[in-house]
Amino acid sequence: MANQAEPIVELKRLSKTIRGKKIIDDLNLQLYPGQVTGFLGPNGAGKTTTIRMMAGLMKPTSGEVFVAGKSVQNDLEAAMSNVGVIVENPEMYKYMTGYKNLVHFARMHRGVTKKRIMEVVRQVGLENRIHEKVGTYSLGMRQRLGLAQALLHDPKFLILDEPTNGLDPAGIREFRTYLRSLAEKAGVSIFVSSHLLSEIELMCDRIAVIQNGKLIDIREMKGDTRPHHYIEAQPADQLKAVLESKGYEPVESGAGFIIEEGTERIPELAKSVIAGGLNLYAVRPHRKTLEDEFIEMTGGGQIAETAAK
Amino acid sequence: MLKLLQNEWMKLWNKKATWTMAILLVVGIAGMMGLTKWISTMEGNRAESGDVAAEGQADAPDWRVMAEAEHADISAQLAAPGLSDSRETDLKEELQIVEYRLAEGVEPHGSFSRQQMIKDSSGIATLAMLFAIIVAAGIVATEFSDGTIKMLLARPVKRWKVLTSKFAATALFGALLTLVGFVVSVVMSYLLFAADGGTELAVQGGEVTEVSVWTLTLYHLFLAFLNIIVYTTFAFMIGSVFRSGALAIGLSLFIFFTGNTVSALLSRYEIAKYLFFSHDLVALAQGMTFIEDVTLPFAAAVLGAYAAVFLIVSYLVFSKRDITA
Repeated sequence: MANQAEPIVELKRLSKTIRGKKIIDDLNLQLYPGQVTGFLGPNGAGKTTTIRMMAGLMKPTSGEVFVAGKSVQNDLEAAMSNVGVIVENPEMYKYMTGYKNLVHFARMHRGVTKKRIMEVVRQVGLENRIHEKVGTYSLGMRQRLGLAQALLHDPKFLILDEPTNGLDPAGIREFRTYLRSLAEKAGVSIFVSSHLLSEIELMCDRIAVIQNGKLIDIREMKGDTRPHHYIEAQPADQLKAVLESKGYEPVESGAGFIIEEGTERIPELAKSVIAGGLNLYAVRPHRKTLEDEFIEMTGGGQIAETAAK
Repeated sequence: MLKLLQNEWMKLWNKKATWTMAILLVVGIAGMMGLTKWISTMEGNRAESGDVAAEGQADAPDWRVMAEAEHADISAQLAAPGLSDSRETDLKEELQIVEYRLAEGVEPHGSFSRQQMIKDSSGIATLAMLFAIIVAAGIVATEFSDGTIKMLLARPVKRWKVLTSKFAATALFGALLTLVGFVVSVVMSYLLFAADGGTELAVQGGEVTEVSVWTLTLYHLFLAFLNIIVYTTFAFMIGSVFRSGALAIGLSLFIFFTGNTVSALLSRYEIAKYLFFSHDLVALAQGMTFIEDVTLPFAAAVLGAYAAVFLIVSYLVFSKRDITA
C-alpha cells in the first residue's frame, strides 16, 4: 500500500522491563496513514504492554513512541490529541448515561462540540439508547460506545485492542466496513490487535507479529500472492512421486498435497496423474490462510514464559 | 482544568451514594437538633414540676450561681502546681471572662438558646468529615477498580491535571457538605429554639470584649474545614496509592475514630504533638486540649505539613504508575 508516505506513528527502540523481565525488547515499528495494521501474537507476547505504551498508559523502560512527530512520553498532550484508544474492554462509567460518558470524554479533548458528539453517536448506531445508563447496555453496545469515545476528536491514529469482543457477526461485519472506510476515506491509521485471525485477515492491509516481546515479522497482507493448489489422489505415495518428478515440492495436507502452482499447468498435471493410473479425487486452488502463516511464524504460538499483563 | 473539575463533579453527583450521603447529612443534623429540642423540653418540664419558682426569677440567679461555681473551679485549677504555660494562659482568660460577667452582670447564653445552638453548629463538621473521607477514598480508587482509569488517562491530558481535578472535587465536596450542614443547623436553630439575652465574650489583647456568635461560629467552621481537608487528603493518598477505596475508607475512619484515644495515650510524649490526628483545631480554639503547650498556629503548621506530604505522595505515585488495570 502507500508505504511511500511518511509514517504517522513510529515506535523507536521500545523496551519495557518489568521486575527484571524483558516484556518488550527493542521494538521498532512504523504505521502509515490510511493503513490498517493488525497486531498479532500469542498470549503473553507483549501486545497489551505495547499498546499501553503507545497510549501513554505505561512508560517504556527505554525508547519512545512518536505520533505525528510528537513523543507520547515527553509531549503527551500534543501526541495524544491525535490518538483515539480502545484498550481491551471499553470500561465506561456504568452509573451514567452513554451520552454523559461521551460528554465526559469530549471535555478532555479540544473542540469537540455537542453536534460532533451526536454525529458520532449516529455513526456507531446508538442514537436510540444513548440516553440510557451504560449499566443497562449489552457488551456489543458498550463496544459501540467505546468506538464512539475514541472517534470524538477525529483522531489521525486509532488504537484498538480486541475491538470485536462481544460483537455479533453482523456487528463485526459493520465494524469492519466502518474501519476500512475510516482508513480509506479519512486516511486514519489504524492499529488493531486481535486474537481472531480471520478478523485481522479481512480487515488489515498489513500485519505485525510479536513474540516474546520481539517483533518477528511485518508483512503486507496482499504481499504473499503466490498461487497454490491442493491435489488429492490415491495411492498417495504414487501421487507424491509424480509431483516430485514434475519438480514440485509437495507439502502434505490432510489426504492430499499442496503445491505451489498457478492455474496454467494444472490441466496438464491432472492428465499426467490420470495417465499414471491414479484415482484423482480433487484438484482445487488453495489459499493460505493467515492462521497457517501465523502458526508457521510463531511455531505453534506457545505462551511466552513472561506473561505480560 | 475547569472542564476536568466539571467532569469529576458530574461523576460524583451521578452516583447514588453521593446523594445518599447528602440526604443523610441533612436528616442527621435536623434529627440531632430535634432531639436536643426534645431533651430541653423534658428538662424544662422537670424544672417546672419540681420547683414552683416563677420562670423569670428562676433564670436570673441561676447563671450567677453557676458562674461563681466556675470561678471557684478555675481558681482551684490555677492554684494547683505543674501547670503548663499555655494551660495557665487559657485558664486566666476564662477567669477574666467569668469575673467580668459577675462584675458587669453580663449573662452568658443558656445551653438551649438559639445562639448557643448556632455556636454549636461547628459540630456538624464531624459528619461532613465522615462523608468527605468516603468520597476522597473512592474518587481515584474506583477509577482503578472499575477499569475506567485507562479510558481516563489515554487522553491528551497530563496526569497531574487529572489528579488535581479529583482533589479539587473532593475539597469542594467537603466544603459543600460543611456549608449545607451549617445552613441546616442554623435553620433548625431558628425554627426550634428561642433567642435569649446572653452575650458571647472573649479576651482579645488582654481586654474582655463582646464577640458576635456568627463570627465565632464561622471561624470555628473554617478551622473544622481545615481538619476535614487533612483527613480527606490522607484518604485521598491511600486511595491513590493502594487503588483500594475500601482500604482508604477503613484506614481513614479507623484513625478518625481512634486517633483521639491514641493521642491521649501518647499525650505525655513529645511525639503526640507531631501526629496529625492529635490536633482538633476547633477544640484548640475553644481552649480544650490534652497535649501540653500546643498552640493553634503550631497545630495548624503540623497539619499543613502532613497535608503537603500526603499530596506529594499522591502526585508522585499517580503520575509515575503504569496503568495495568
